[in-house]
Amino acid sequence: MPTVHAAPSPQPVYPAASSRPTAADSVAPSGPRRAGRSGAWWVERGLAAWTAGVLAFLYLPILVLIAYSFNSSRLNVVWEGFTLRWYGELFSHAPLIRAFKNSLIVAGASTVLAVLLGTIGAWLLHRNRYRFARAIQTLICVPMVMPEIVIGISLLVLFTLVHLELGHLTMILAHTTFCFPFVLVAVQARLQGLDPALEEAALDLGATPARAFWLVILPCLRPAVVAGGLMAFTLSMDELIISIFTAGPDSRTLPMQVFGMARVGLNPMLNALSAIFVVTTIAFVLFTEHLRRLATRAA
Amino acid sequence: MKTRNKLLLLGLSLLCAVTVAFGQARKRGELNLFAWSEYIPQAVLDGFTRETGIRVNYETYSSGEEMLARLMARRARFDLIQPPDYIAEALIKNGQLLPIDRSRLSNFGNLMPEFLNMPHDPEQQFTIPYMVGTVGIVVNTERVTEPVRGYADLFSERHAGRIVVVDDGRELATAALYTLGKSINDFSPANLAAIRPVLAEWFSRVKLFDSDSPKTALLSGDVDLGLVWGGEAALLWQENKKFHYVLPEEGAHMFVDLLAIPRRARNVENAHLFIDYILRPEVSKLISDEFPYTNPNRAARKLLSPEQLANPASYPPGDRKFDTFRYLGEDIAEAIDKMMTDLKNARR
Amino acid sequence: MQGLPGTLPPNPHARPAGAWGWWLLAPMLAWLALFVVAPMAILLVYSFGSRGALGVVELGFSLENYERIADPIYLRIFGRSIGYAALTTLLCVVIGFPAAWFIARRSPEWRGRLLLLVMVPFWTSFLIRTYAWIAILRSEGLLNAVLKSSGVVPHVLPAPLDLLYTPTAVVIGLVYVYLPFVILPVYASAEKLDGTLLEAAQDLGAGPLRVFREVIVPLTWPGIAAGMMLVFVPAIGMFAVTDLMGGARVSMIGNVIHNQFTRALNFPFGAALGVVFTLLFVLSYALLLWLGRRRDETAKAR
Repeated sequence: MPTVHAAPSPQPVYPAASSRPTAADSVAPSGPRRAGRSGAWWVERGLAAWTAGVLAFLYLPILVLIAYSFNSSRLNVVWEGFTLRWYGELFSHAPLIRAFKNSLIVAGASTVLAVLLGTIGAWLLHRNRYRFARAIQTLICVPMVMPEIVIGISLLVLFTLVHLELGHLTMILAHTTFCFPFVLVAVQARLQGLDPALEEAALDLGATPARAFWLVILPCLRPAVVAGGLMAFTLSMDELIISIFTAGPDSRTLPMQVFGMARVGLNPMLNALSAIFVVTTIAFVLFTEHLRRLATRAA
Repeated sequence: MKTRNKLLLLGLSLLCAVTVAFGQARKRGELNLFAWSEYIPQAVLDGFTRETGIRVNYETYSSGEEMLARLMARRARFDLIQPPDYIAEALIKNGQLLPIDRSRLSNFGNLMPEFLNMPHDPEQQFTIPYMVGTVGIVVNTERVTEPVRGYADLFSERHAGRIVVVDDGRELATAALYTLGKSINDFSPANLAAIRPVLAEWFSRVKLFDSDSPKTALLSGDVDLGLVWGGEAALLWQENKKFHYVLPEEGAHMFVDLLAIPRRARNVENAHLFIDYILRPEVSKLISDEFPYTNPNRAARKLLSPEQLANPASYPPGDRKFDTFRYLGEDIAEAIDKMMTDLKNARR
Repeated sequence: MQGLPGTLPPNPHARPAGAWGWWLLAPMLAWLALFVVAPMAILLVYSFGSRGALGVVELGFSLENYERIADPIYLRIFGRSIGYAALTTLLCVVIGFPAAWFIARRSPEWRGRLLLLVMVPFWTSFLIRTYAWIAILRSEGLLNAVLKSSGVVPHVLPAPLDLLYTPTAVVIGLVYVYLPFVILPVYASAEKLDGTLLEAAQDLGAGPLRVFREVIVPLTWPGIAAGMMLVFVPAIGMFAVTDLMGGARVSMIGNVIHNQFTRALNFPFGAALGVVFTLLFVLSYALLLWLGRRRDETAKAR
């Protein structure tokens, strides 16, 4: 295996926790090692309590929702009894199921496009020196940092101007636009740690640049491509604001449906849906964590 | 490793192909319906799909202006829309609706004549009445003991912070015109200026603007009074008799929500099928069961229970005369919208 | 995770791009031109147009939309949006920083576990998380039920809390949605911080406050800046949370823009609002970069 170190990914929303121990671990007294209860000890305790509080703040509402998804009461304040009824209703609620399918179609297609654009773009920008490279790099970052509502309305005016009917196609175009930079940046971070001799060796051995990319570079990039792809998929699945402006009548996605239902008021089905979301998220986070571990171990 | 990559590529291209194929296949046998939120029961849509095999995509809006905006400015292609009377009037005047082929509607005769040939569609060429309703006041009589007779009582100081109103500029502006004793279709600059202070005072006492489901906040006890759609009030009354419906003494108007086929509709045939399905007495009854507005379908009314017919919010007792909205143009609509934005954001 | 994106060092081994290099890059460049540059350009052109019959856009060159934005109503909305977003950002940093710092100082094992705990809400749909708060904050919701059964109401507080559909609810919702967006980047910065620096500062006699102000904050600034950016800009435009938690009474700029495209039938005015919002965003981005740079310079000067 080539010498690839797991470079921390540079985009701000996907921190790859490196397992390199820092010197700080020996500084922060994490137990009663010091004789007196010094100021630092109290600060540490305070921080621990604060963090516990923050985690409680983050989790309590979600846990409440999950608990109430099993409550047979419709106006979910009083506990009336255990039921699985809302889950049953959820799976027979045609608009939700259809919205979920639409979400999968849009997220799936956008992820494929985003991975293609992002991986190839990152490799080319890494391998070649382009004029205006800085400008191109900045332009790529625009959809990542631009307020979603501005992306949404600007794409809407574009689509209406060229008479492109709003629907699955416009949704996929819009979602790819804001997803692919995330893939690109993830792959770029990985490329930073790539040994430049790799491609040269492949070329010296007679491979064409395309073959060298396919056979040598791409396998090394796989963890970043997968991570970027997963990220693109999740972002697309969760996107509401841009979707509201670019969706047509037959392409309502799950977040749009949930937003519509939440506006109408409390709905026990939404509790059940939340519980499923949270469980899926936990599975997803554990899975990416597993991937990351595999990647670092391989390095 | 090589084969695995190839497999991966194969998978990806398959996914693409499936996506495209899916997109193509679903164009047949579809009905893109654009309607008010909380207005068409899922059971009706499911029943229609079961019988005809036509899938219904139900997209919602929460005000007539929103419907017009999405339909016109966004060029969305819907097969069937559900405009309120005054929006339909604008669409008809601008040639945006297709005439309805009445020969394809075997159940047209079920409709009551008083809801036909109204001013928005004098020849009844383009629209079919879906449901009719009023906008009135709901009072939770357990929490509010003082009598509430009209807008002035509703928005009085003592109810501040306990009121929900529909988030609909035209409705609220109309209520203000009523309290000033003016004609509700006259938004002259003088009248607009006159209602402004009235609305400003009201808005400072409103807790929540909600057109989608104003009943929710009343049911959950977040508010005790509301200016809501009649059907919502009827649902509240069904839920608990403590919710009284009051038609404001200053004046009340009636709205007719219609079914119409936009000019750019793709599935005109399916739209006709759906309209005719809706006009069936037993289907229309299903709608009344879930969303108890005033049903314009005489055959369906015969199927309703005495209790449903006695619901004062669905079928207001007495022979009260109601006004209707007329379309006044975008400039007026925008002036009202601007005033709403302004007043909602004043001093907070 | 170097903080703000777009700051990767160039590859020293890159070769000058030939014709092939450009051809291969063309699809991505075309994509960017079509779906990023062109829409923004159209938005700009629209913003000088005016609204015609039934929402048709009439192109032209008039400043009326911008004049309308200068109207006190919209200035107030912009001001309030910025205020709420700034408050949200501040609260997120204040709440999130200590937690991120604490997590970053754990042993690798614990760091991983705690980080996972932050990631789960981060990846959970923000709508679902907002929805959870509606159930809690309602007049007859969980919070008031707990307050009542524990005797806080009526002994400590005279009446149940009336939080839903108030600005407070909007800020709670926004903080809740965006808190992980601060914790994660700050964590990444703090984790890289060399602990010996803190020791050195302490040994040189710096008090805890001084260490915090002159060592910890400057060294974790990239993370804080990234977190602020990730909260501030989306929070201004986030109309979904204001809609659900604010009872449509609290408008933020996102709600007004949304309204122009869904109800008011006025694309040009919405476009002008979008353009102003974009400028605002670019300004705040530049401000953050400038702040960071100034910090670096003062650090170097010492």
